Amino acid sequence: MKNNVKITRMKRSITQQHLARKVGVARQTIGLIEKGQYNPSLKLCVAIAKELGVTLDDLFWEEEEE
Amino acid sequence: MKSWISFILPNDEYKRLKMLHFYAEGGVLLFISMFVLFLVNDYFGFGPDAIVLLGMMLFIFYVSTRYMFAGIEYPDMTSEKSYRKEVRVTLMRSVTFLGIFTGFYILLVDIPATQEAWIDLAGIAIITSAVMFISTYISLKRSYRKNREFL
Repeated sequence: MKNNVKITRMKRSITQQHLARKVGVARQTIGLIEKGQYNPSLKLCVAIAKELGVTLDDLFWEEEEE
Repeated sequence: MKSWISFILPNDEYKRLKMLHFYAEGGVLLFISMFVLFLVNDYFGFGPDAIVLLGMMLFIFYVSTRYMFAGIEYPDMTSEKSYRKEVRVTLMRSVTFLGIFTGFYILLVDIPATQEAWIDLAGIAIITSAVMFISTYISLKRSYRKNREFL
């Protein structure tokens, strides 16, 4: 699933390791989410969004192209 | 989701999901192999002990092999320095195991009397520590490669 986790994280100058520690998962899991190779649980999505200071829409909503 | 199996699963949700898949695949394989054995055991004539042992070995071998190749054992390893350090630690651990195993065997079982008995002891100890090293090394390498992809 495409998402904006990596872009948002980099804009806030947060490392994968730091984000992983804050939301209680492994660094590898954050990497997999950013690459769209793992769909996180809603609980983890909310934790990531809160940590990055954005909404779930900002991170995971796909805009349909017209 | 609450389940009694949770206590043997990791805390990280991706790793937990992967492990659940491996256990489930192992369980289904075990069921299939037992069913096949039930149908054809008249031909092979395995005893009950052998069948139980075979089933357990199949399950453990399958789950540990999947785990080893999945690259999920070292989820935070991304630098070459920490990778090389862990390889050295793994090697040291295997060599230490070799020494401890041989020491305990001599202390608790017997001092091998013949050259053949020494070779048997050395063979078991070396093969076990080599398997230990190789399996950890593969897991380490797979984890490192996988982690590098996500940087």
